[in-house]
Amino acid sequence: MAKLPFNNDIKTLRFLSGEMTQGDLGDKVGVTRQTIAAIEQGKYSPSLEVAFRIARVFGKSVDAIFHWQDE
Amino acid sequence: MAFNEKLHWASFLALIAAFGWYFLSYPYQIIDTPAGVAAVAGMLVPVTIIIVVVMTATAVFLAIRSPKDANMKGDERERNFHIRGTHLAYYPLVIGMWGNMIAMFYRLSVAEHLNLLIATIVVAELIRVGSQLYYYRRGY
Repeated sequence: MAKLPFNNDIKTLRFLSGEMTQGDLGDKVGVTRQTIAAIEQGKYSPSLEVAFRIARVFGKSVDAIFHWQDE
Repeated sequence: MAFNEKLHWASFLALIAAFGWYFLSYPYQIIDTPAGVAAVAGMLVPVTIIIVVVMTATAVFLAIRSPKDANMKGDERERNFHIRGTHLAYYPLVIGMWGNMIAMFYRLSVAEHLNLLIATIVVAELIRVGSQLYYYRRGY
């Protein structure tokens, strides 16, 4: 698997949001639990729309959740 | 396992079971006779019934067990799997069609052509569904 050039804090933010489950976040964003798991693990690069939806759930900006890693 | 992945497993297994029976049971000794053509048509009826019944029963069973998942449309990751699977299936489909056209120059019987076409579609479908199952298992 080609490693994505960015990581994310979704798992931490879920924990800080009352231990929100992947399924709960998926329901709020409109994707499956499996898709949230793949995003969290850095296996799947979400669309800009899903990234914004995730950010809105946590009340943060996209770049506060997804962090570009310098090569 | 996601709802759509379960449906894909049902589709994959139904394809193997139905067309496995078809190709193993087809009376190849009469393939170059008019009865061979009738056998193709006659055997495609139970094949279609098997696939429709298995898919309908699986979808109903899964929807009753998990109505929320059943009502959810595939998300962007699943649509991506679908696009990539369909793309991969295009190649065996084209190869099969060319194979069939080339076979016309060798004066095959109508039933042989029909079986070649059916095999082409089955292989393409197995690759389409199988590749999507691979992507589901891999996660991306």
